[in-house]
Amino acid sequence: MSITPETANQHKNDPAVVCCLTHEGTIISPADLEDPAIFPDLEDSGLLTIPENVLTIGQVLGKKLIKTIDALTPITPDMIEGGLDQGEKPEVVEEAEMVQSGAAQTVTGAGNVIRIHIEEGKGINLEIPAIVTAAGTAEPAAKPVEGAQEAVKPRVEDRVRRTLLMREFEVKEVRLGDETSFENGVLTIRKGLVEDALKADPIAKKMEIDIITPDNKNVFTNTIMDVIPIATKVEGSLGEGVTHVMSGAVVILTGVDESGIQVHEFGSCEGIIGEKVRFGRPGCPDENDIMIRIHVTIQAGTGMERKGPYAAHKACDAVIQEIREVLKKKPASEAAREIEYKDVERIGRPRVVIVKEIMGQGAMHDNVILPKEPAGVLGGRPNVDLGNIPVVLSANEVRDGGIHALTCIGPASKENTRHYFREPLVNLVADDEEVNLVGVVFVGSPQVNEEKFYVSERLGALVEALGVDGAIVTTEGFGNNHIDFASHIEQIGKRGIPVVGVTYAAYQGQLIVGNKYMDAMVELNKDPNGMESEILGDNTLTKEDAVRALAMLKAKMAGAEIKPAPKKWDQSVIENNQKLVEKA
Amino acid sequence: MEYKLKIPLQQHIGAPCKPVVSAGERVKKGQLIAAPEKLGANIHASLSGVVTAVTGEYIEIEPDKEQPEDYVPIKETSSMLEAIKEAGIVGMGGAGFPTHVKMDVDLQGGTVIANGVECEPLLSHNVRQMEQNPEIVYRGLKYAMQITNASRGYIAIKAKNKKAVEAMKSVIDDPRIEVREMPDIYPMGEERALVREILGQLLRPDQLPSAARAVISNVETLSRICEAVEKRKPVISKNVTVIGRLKSGRQARVFFDVPIGTPIAELIEKAGGFEGDFGEIIMGGPFTGKAVDLDCVVTKTTGGIIVTDPLPREKRKAGLLVCGCGANEARLREVAEKMGACVAGVERCKQVVDVKGGIKCENPGNCPGQAEKILKLKKMGADVLIVGTCSDCTNTVMGVAPKLKLPVYHHTDHVLRTVGHPLVRRLKK
Ligand code: SF4
Repeated sequence: MSITPETANQHKNDPAVVCCLTHEGTIISPADLEDPAIFPDLEDSGLLTIPENVLTIGQVLGKKLIKTIDALTPITPDMIEGGLDQGEKPEVVEEAEMVQSGAAQTVTGAGNVIRIHIEEGKGINLEIPAIVTAAGTAEPAAKPVEGAQEAVKPRVEDRVRRTLLMREFEVKEVRLGDETSFENGVLTIRKGLVEDALKADPIAKKMEIDIITPDNKNVFTNTIMDVIPIATKVEGSLGEGVTHVMSGAVVILTGVDESGIQVHEFGSCEGIIGEKVRFGRPGCPDENDIMIRIHVTIQAGTGMERKGPYAAHKACDAVIQEIREVLKKKPASEAAREIEYKDVERIGRPRVVIVKEIMGQGAMHDNVILPKEPAGVLGGRPNVDLGNIPVVLSANEVRDGGIHALTCIGPASKENTRHYFREPLVNLVADDEEVNLVGVVFVGSPQVNEEKFYVSERLGALVEALGVDGAIVTTEGFGNNHIDFASHIEQIGKRGIPVVGVTYAAYQGQLIVGNKYMDAMVELNKDPNGMESEILGDNTLTKEDAVRALAMLKAKMAGAEIKPAPKKWDQSVIENNQKLVEKA
Repeated sequence: MEYKLKIPLQQHIGAPCKPVVSAGERVKKGQLIAAPEKLGANIHASLSGVVTAVTGEYIEIEPDKEQPEDYVPIKETSSMLEAIKEAGIVGMGGAGFPTHVKMDVDLQGGTVIANGVECEPLLSHNVRQMEQNPEIVYRGLKYAMQITNASRGYIAIKAKNKKAVEAMKSVIDDPRIEVREMPDIYPMGEERALVREILGQLLRPDQLPSAARAVISNVETLSRICEAVEKRKPVISKNVTVIGRLKSGRQARVFFDVPIGTPIAELIEKAGGFEGDFGEIIMGGPFTGKAVDLDCVVTKTTGGIIVTDPLPREKRKAGLLVCGCGANEARLREVAEKMGACVAGVERCKQVVDVKGGIKCENPGNCPGQAEKILKLKKMGADVLIVGTCSDCTNTVMGVAPKLKLPVYHHTDHVLRTVGHPLVRRLKK
C-alpha cells in the first residue's frame, strides 16, 4: 500500500513487493512497495506468492526497475538493473529464518530491573551490559540478571490505603424450605421467595429456583445470563471493612421470555450444564460448587431490550438479598477462612493502571457499577447511563463485587459478575510488589463510533492525569468493541506510556483494527482451533493470561522490544510465552 | 422562446451575489443583474427580456422572442484584471473560483498553464474548442501571462487528442509557450497533478499552484478572458457537452455559448430528447459530477450533461472505496443505494486527506496500492466493491479484487456503459 521510509527501514530484510503497477525505469522507493505486515493476509487470499529468489526491501531500494510489473509482484533479480550482488543473499535468508523462529516469542523481562545500591564507596567503576536493548535480536533477550532483582529491597514503606476483610462461610448443602436460613453449612431458601422476588420488576413474570449439585450436572439449562457470588457487607462500604461470602455455592441466573425465546438468544449457551460451562474459570462455578439456579421468565419480546435482562437481574438480586440478610448475621467464629485484601500504594515502584473495557450498549451489553451489596444490583449505576465514561475503582472495590455484569452474548469470552469478583489480573497486579497499581479503570464500549472515540479520548486524558508508567488494557468479547480497544491503546500509547493489550482474538476474532501502539498483545484463546465457543468462560482471562500480561508490561516498561507475533493466529505463541514467563 | 431563464445568484465559490434588478424590470443581454458583496463574480443577463422573479437564489427572466446579436459591453476599465472582474469570469472547468482573484498575483516570471486536459471521460467541449478556435484560447493565455507577470506558458492536452494538439501548435508564435502532451488517465487535469507533471513539483494537498509560482486556468476560462479583453464581453454563456441516452444517438454533442440559466431539460431536448427510461442525469463529468433534477439550469461551471442508462441492480453487500479526486463517500453511497445494495463498509484510499472540510488526494493519480483496503472491506463483509478511485488505483483494485472473488463496480460504470465508452478498469501495461 506504499510505505514510509520508516516502515521500509523496519522491514529491510522482508521481501520487496510492489504495491501497484510500476513502470520500467522507476527508481524503487518506499512509496512503490507493499507493507510486509499484510503479506500473510495477501498470501492467504491467494493474492501473493513469494518466490524463493525474491529480493528484500533493503536490496531493492534505490535500484532501477527494468520491467513494468503489475501490482503485488515480488521483485526478483531479473527485474532490477544490474541484477544483484548474489553474495548478500545467503546471509539475508538466514537472518529471515531466525526472525521467523523467534517470532513466536515475546520477550519478557520480568525482573530485568537492575538495582544498584551503594552504601558508601570511592572510585567505583560500574560496567553494566546493555541487556535490555539487546531485545529484538535473535538471542531471547532480556534474561533476568541472576540475583540482581533480589539485591536490594526498596526502603520506602508501602502505604496501605484500605483493607478489606473477607470471611468465607462454607455451604455444604442447599435446600428449599419454609424459611430462609443458614445453619451448620446448610443453606435453606424460602420457597415463597419466588413470588416476593418478582415484585422487584413487573417485567419479570415467573421465577423458578432449583439446586444443581456437583454430582448431577447432567441437567438442561437455559442460557446462562450470569454467575453471581453470594456476598454481603457487614461493615463499611464496598472495598473496605468486612464482607461475608459463601463458598461452595453460587447463583446461576438463567432466563427465557414468555414465548420461550432465550434471553440473549444470539450466542446463547443453553444445553446440558455440565457441557456448557468451563468449570473453574474465574467467572464460572468451580467443579464442586453447588449451583443455585434462578430461572426467570421475562415479558415476551424484551429479551434483547434493555429492560428485559435488567428485570431478570433485579429479581434474582432480590432472592440473593434475603440470603444476604442471614449471611450478615453469621458470627466471625464460624468462618471457614478469612482473607485480607489491601489497597497498597507502593511508593517508588512504577505506577501501573489496569483498564478494563466493558460492554456499554445497554440490555445484556451492560454493567452495573458499584452496587450497595457486593455483586449486587441495587444502588449501582448502569455503565450506559454514565455515558460509558471511564470510572476508576480501587482493586479492593473490584474484588468486593464492584461490578455486576449484565453481559452474556458470546458467553465464551464475556466476563460475568463472578469474573470481576475474582478477576485474576486485578489480584495479580495488586499483589505484585514490583509495581504500584494505582487503580482499575472501567470504560464502556458504546455502540456509535463517534461516542467510542469520545470515550476513548477521555480515557487517554484520565490515564495521562494518573501519571502512570504503564497500562494494561483488557476487553471482553470481540468485534465491534475492538474498535474502542484499539483506540484506548492508541490514546495511552501516544502519550508515551507503555501499554499491553489483552483480548480474545485467535482465529475467529481477528482484530479488524490496529495501530502502531498495539505491539504487545496477550491472547486469551484457549480453544485449539481458535474458535469462540458457546461454553461459558471458555476464553476469558485466567491467572496464566494475567501472568503473561504483567510480564509483558514489565518488559515493555524496561524498554524491551516485543517481537511481533506471526500474522496468523498460532497457539504456540501463547505456549512459548507461558514457558518464558514461568522460567523467568 | 418557450422557457424562462433561471440565473442562479451563486455560480462560484464564495457568497451569493446581490441582485441589482427587480421583478418587472426589462433587462438587456449582457446587462449586470447581480453583483458580489463578498468573494464572488458579477452576473449578467444572458438574454434580453423581462425579469419575472427575484428570489434569494436566482433571478428569473422571460426572454424576448427576438434576441439581438450584440450585448451590453462591460464598462471601460483601466486594466485587464479589472475587465475580468467586470465580466464576471470564474473557473469554468468546474471549480468556479473567481478568476480576477486567482489572476491577481505576481508570479515573478512563473508559469501559466492552460488546462485543456479535459480529464473526465465523455466531456469534449474543451477539446472541441481548441480544435475549432485555438486562437482565442491562445490569446487568452497570453493575456493571463501578462496579467500575472509569467514568463512561461504551457498548454496541457492529452496526447490522444491529436487534432487539438496540432491546432494549438499551429497558432503558437511565441517561444515561451508550448504544448505539453499528457497521459490519458484520470485525474491528469487536477491542478496539482498538472503542476507535478509539468513543473515536476508535488504540492501538498493544502497548497495552491501559486506555491510553485504557477496559475492554472481552464481553456474555456482563457477564451472568456480573451473575449472580455478584446470584445468587452461579459460571461453570459457556457460551452456544454451533452451526451448519453438520447434519441439522436450516443455520441457527444457540443453546444457552444449556451445562455446561462437555460434549463437542462431544454438542452437535452435540443440534443434529441430522452430515449426511454434513464437512470440519472449527471451534471459535470462521470467522476465528479452530481446527479441532478430536470429543473436544474446551466451555470458558469456546467461542463457536461449526461443522461445515463438505468443503474444495475445489486443485492449483495457492497464495500465502498472513496477517492480524494473522484467520488466521495456521499456519492458512492448514493450509487449503492440506487443500485439497491446495502453498504458493508467504507474505506478511503490511503492518499485521501481532509483539507478544509473537504477531501483531497495527496498525490493525484499516483496509486498507493489498494490491497490492504480491499482486504479490509472484504473482512467487513463486502461481497462486491463499488469504487470511486482514479485510473491508477482502479488498476490495482482490478489486480486484487477478482482474485478475491469480489466483483468490482466503478461508480462511473453506468455512465460510461451508456455510451459504450470503455469502463474504468485495468490500465494496459
Ligand atoms: S491516489 Fe487515491 S485518492 Fe488519489 S486520485 Fe487515486 S484513488 Fe483518488
